[in-house]
Amino acid sequence: MNEILAILPATLRTILTALPIAVRENLEEIRLRQNQPLEVRFGQQSSYVTPSGQITSIPAQGWLFSAEEAAKLLNQVSQHSLYALEEELKRGYITVVGGHRIGIAGKVVLDKGEVKGIRDVTSFNIRIAREKKGAAKKVMPYLFEDGKLLNTLLISPPQCGKTTLLRDMARTISYGSEWSSSRKVGIVDERSELAGCLQGVPQRDVGPRTDVLDACPKAAGMMMMIRSMSPDVLIVDEVGRAEDGDAVWEAIHAGVAVICSAHGASVKEVAERPMLGKLIRYGAFSRYIVLSRAKGVGTIQAIYDQSMNLVEREKVSWSS
Amino acid sequence: MVKLMGAVLILFSASMVGWQIGKYYANRPVQLRALLVALQMLETEIVFGMTPLQRAFVKVGHRVSEEVGKVFLLAAEFLQTEKAHSAEEALQQAMNRLWAQTALRKQEREVLESLGQVLGSSDREDQQKHLRLAVTHLRGLEEEARAEQEKYEKMYKSLGFLGGLLVVILMF
Repeated sequence: MNEILAILPATLRTILTALPIAVRENLEEIRLRQNQPLEVRFGQQSSYVTPSGQITSIPAQGWLFSAEEAAKLLNQVSQHSLYALEEELKRGYITVVGGHRIGIAGKVVLDKGEVKGIRDVTSFNIRIAREKKGAAKKVMPYLFEDGKLLNTLLISPPQCGKTTLLRDMARTISYGSEWSSSRKVGIVDERSELAGCLQGVPQRDVGPRTDVLDACPKAAGMMMMIRSMSPDVLIVDEVGRAEDGDAVWEAIHAGVAVICSAHGASVKEVAERPMLGKLIRYGAFSRYIVLSRAKGVGTIQAIYDQSMNLVEREKVSWSS
Repeated sequence: MVKLMGAVLILFSASMVGWQIGKYYANRPVQLRALLVALQMLETEIVFGMTPLQRAFVKVGHRVSEEVGKVFLLAAEFLQTEKAHSAEEALQQAMNRLWAQTALRKQEREVLESLGQVLGSSDREDQQKHLRLAVTHLRGLEEEARAEQEKYEKMYKSLGFLGGLLVVILMF
């Protein structure tokens, strides 16, 4: 939280510091839209914030985010150097120290039909990154068979802790745990979400034996990793395109375990998607972990094996 | 005897005044050149290095001659300590404090001011355009400054001495 405060303009910093402690502790998003009141999201709720730092549900009482403040914020976030953020502006978000993300929206500039960047940035979504260490504890025992790490597909609707779980799996595998000795981990982090890299350095703890290809397209990145970094396990977020499927297939047959995630509510739903469906039919994955929000973010709904049977805890073979 | 000493003093101080004014004309093109070099370095840092502005200012500030370099270093400091909220403000404040110590004039300052308004607030292509524009402006000013130097430097230097001489002659 303090990392975020440090990069905000003074006015905004003062307001956010004055927030009630219960809100500050659980802050997930700070949303700023030009000429609209400041909004914060904490826990499952969201509300506006008055200039004195109180939360309110009446928009008119909220602190108005003026055009001048927007310019200031962008200046501050970019360290007065927008030109250094060209790639980030193209992608629509900026990663800052601590792995926090600032999503931006505004007027998009096109160049030959492709997004070149965003000018006149008017909306900011500051997403506060929280590390849930130990999130992978519950699933780790299911991931091994005879000491071998199994290819795993993580299925989850958005906002259910998929990325957090994936990151924690990477960290646990990298550090080693009671279920396995430590292994070399390769992360292909196309959206800079898993490791939250800033200038190539992971801002999140992803473990000591982890290599990260930041902002790299998944398919190309996976091949690069296999060729050059000899990982024991590849971790990729949100596979979905056809070429991702080929890369996963390739990796699996190169003797590298793959743990990846996909959006979806159930295995059945995901199996309908062309590329993933194919991988599932060919038995590329040996474990399917389905997440939901049923009992809060990160609820593990079910774990299936290759032939879609529920994996019971007793059946899990423990590696030495 | 006292009269003679007075005469020497007058002659000496008048020459010094002339020399000072002449030196101002000599310094301006030199510092203008330094400013030009600074902006070109800034262009490299921004366009090729994508160095954040504050770091770029420090780098450039250390590499050009002192009088001009100081302005960039001070601007960098203002950005770092958040005394300035934008590049424009930082440059403005640094120039307010240091411009009088340089041999540069209002025209040069105006070029830097208008550059400051856009510095850091657009993509690389745009930054390059603005930096090049500023450099072109300064080149024009540099030529002008050199012409002035040729015209006035010697003139003021000898004028000082001759003026002193005139007073001395009148004294006797």
